[in-house]
Amino acid sequence: MAGRNPSKLVLKLQTFTARPQCQCASVLRVASHRATSTTSPILVRHSSTTAYHPPQQTSSVDPTEVSHFNALASSWWDPHGPSRLLHLMNPLRHTFISRCLDTPALPNDPPLPSRLRYLDVGCGGGIFAESAARLATTDSVIAIDPSAEVLKIAQGHQRRDPALMAPGRLTYKNIPIEKLPVGPSEAEKYDIVALWEVLEHVNSPGPFLEHLMPHVKPGGWLVLSTIARTWTSWAVTNVMAEDVLGIVPKGTHDWKKYVNENELRDWFDRKEGWGQNGAMKVMGVMYVPGLGWKEVPGGEGWGNYFFGVRKDA
Amino acid sequence: MPPRLQLSPVFRVHTLPSQISCRRSYASSSATSPEIYDVVCVGGGPAGLSLLTALRSSKLTSNLRIALIEAQDLQKNRLRDPSPDAYSNRCSSLTPGSVRNLQEIGAWSYIHASRVQPYQEMQVWDGITDSRISFDWTSASPLPFTPRKLSQPTTIATMVENTNLTTALLARLSSLGGVDIFSPTKVSSIELGSQTPDVDLSSWPILTLSDGKSLAARLLVGADGANSPVRTFADIQSRGFDYNRHGVVASLKLSGPGWGGPDHKTAYQRFLPTGPIAMLPLPGNMATLVWSTTPERAAKLKSLSANDFIAMVNAGFRLSAVDLEYLHTLPSGQEEEVAWREHHTPIKEKDIPMKVVHVQENTVASFPLRMRHADTYTGERIALVGDAAHTIHPLAGQGLNQGQADAAALTRTISAAVATGQDIGSLLALEPYNDEQYAANNAMLGICDKLHRLYSVESGPLVGLRSLGLSAVDSMGWVKGLLMGRAAGG
Repeated sequence: MAGRNPSKLVLKLQTFTARPQCQCASVLRVASHRATSTTSPILVRHSSTTAYHPPQQTSSVDPTEVSHFNALASSWWDPHGPSRLLHLMNPLRHTFISRCLDTPALPNDPPLPSRLRYLDVGCGGGIFAESAARLATTDSVIAIDPSAEVLKIAQGHQRRDPALMAPGRLTYKNIPIEKLPVGPSEAEKYDIVALWEVLEHVNSPGPFLEHLMPHVKPGGWLVLSTIARTWTSWAVTNVMAEDVLGIVPKGTHDWKKYVNENELRDWFDRKEGWGQNGAMKVMGVMYVPGLGWKEVPGGEGWGNYFFGVRKDA
Repeated sequence: MPPRLQLSPVFRVHTLPSQISCRRSYASSSATSPEIYDVVCVGGGPAGLSLLTALRSSKLTSNLRIALIEAQDLQKNRLRDPSPDAYSNRCSSLTPGSVRNLQEIGAWSYIHASRVQPYQEMQVWDGITDSRISFDWTSASPLPFTPRKLSQPTTIATMVENTNLTTALLARLSSLGGVDIFSPTKVSSIELGSQTPDVDLSSWPILTLSDGKSLAARLLVGADGANSPVRTFADIQSRGFDYNRHGVVASLKLSGPGWGGPDHKTAYQRFLPTGPIAMLPLPGNMATLVWSTTPERAAKLKSLSANDFIAMVNAGFRLSAVDLEYLHTLPSGQEEEVAWREHHTPIKEKDIPMKVVHVQENTVASFPLRMRHADTYTGERIALVGDAAHTIHPLAGQGLNQGQADAAALTRTISAAVATGQDIGSLLALEPYNDEQYAANNAMLGICDKLHRLYSVESGPLVGLRSLGLSAVDSMGWVKGLLMGRAAGG
């Protein structure tokens, strides 16, 4: 039992908000948006301090971040490897989506189809994409990531499950979100657009989210998970996990880029056509050593949280 | 559930004569595409059947494609034309927790109800000091100084023949349908699959059956007993030891239904230095014996005439350890010897089971007692349940109940995995099952092992201490309540 080892317990305790590895191989950075203000990172971002940005870069993909996650690719599916906490978190993502879908629609809204179309942005090794594709209520999953190397791992793992090889069930695409064509008809858009553990790595979350929003079907949900910008998360993810314990590679997290739940809420409140009738959901979570990920009411204020918002039908 | 993928059949080349034989021999061996299953269960005993019944009876898991492989003929082992005077010698004491679970999966209503016997009292005593503890829900209270509530159960456990249980599970399973049953069919080999351009089965166990069929298992469940081939395939070590004891079983008829009549039945267990002797009530005047003893004594007991055997069982509950030792040395004539010695031994008849008057023909048998525990219950695409995972000393009647609890826990784990789209064969998805059952089973194995050791001691300070312990517990109702609650499985 790994949990019996006291030193490991300490490690787990320190990393409960750190997510030692981000699933977001797709650390998409919009390099053109740089500003010096830090008031609300959702609108404009503090300039990244460590990542290398060639001045002429026009894609949102930061090659430094991509190679960072390439190095982790081979251990992606090791249940005791560095992605373990992400694997353990994955069931909660489905719990959260179910909760979003249970939110009552407006009386005149058309019901969601019985089989749902998913878009997983920043799918990494495919932890969420595979699980979504296995659900009986799923029609199809498109999973995109800018790292070809990580996608190779994802596709190799997909072949290990015949159920995922049925044509159209699960499709990986090596493409950044801004290049993914928006479905010409509503039916070709997605019921669920998922963005797991990506937002905290994005330079300009607002413009970035605007790239995702056109892909959501009216009545569908944009769901994401990220981490609040608080003193707790700064101490745990940057100082403890990276500098002191060294269990997270240095430079994985830039605390200034973390987005708070109330910032997201305010931002979507100002967006026309989103989150009407209380269709904005949040769930705070925390990793408890020995028990796994647990929902913590109010946890969105200081640590990891899920956020979901419905596109008005 | 995702659609099942039928692998394309092996392509045969007919145009190049030189290649035909080669291709054909390839195709006729193991190259036929395996059938893809979500769950393949090896072993159709109570644990495996309970697992599959639970999976089939829940909507969430009803889409799983399931196969059951059993080496014996499941139809043959069914309870047929049961007579009220004849009982199988393999009986189990089901805890209320196990019965509740069987009710939940819809199997309990298929049980031959006239052949099960709940008991409300348990008498346990020390064969050396006669120190005694009695368990019943009337003298056990939930907390110190609180009176017993009317809603509390009165049943300690329920005796059932194993065949009655498996017959009921099979009946429920066939009413649910949807399981491909291979029986009687043996598993010829288990090996990992291979890669093709379409699919990579290199982490999937592929089972080749004695009828030539080939199955690929997303999750391979080893419910295949103490010598589990599935456990061997998974390279999971099982550690433990042999007690150098055998359990002697027999179906017996007593002189009456018991001191409390047909509505208040009692189970009796006397700890002798060689092991405990237990008399467990069945309907009417019937009872089942489990006598743990040395292999030599077990062989002796099995060799006796019916009347001498009956005398020895009666002596086992009545005479001293010294008398019993002597009686086992006699080649025959135990009947007269026991009758004479009983006259000279003070016996409180109402504290012990009624006298045995008949032993059912061909029911005296014995099996070696072992303690085994697998290092883990799970591996990549592997889960072990029941005796494949653990073998326990029968003194507390927990073996079958542990298997039922395993099946229920594995069902919960699989259901949670299906609900969140996990691969039910992945080690990560199976982790909760191991977490839930391993420590609990390990504790129970330990307790039964320690009890066995404690009561194997014939003299010295330990004997006095254990008697003090029994008497103390006997006078503290709430401690008994606690113990009985644990034993009741919830």
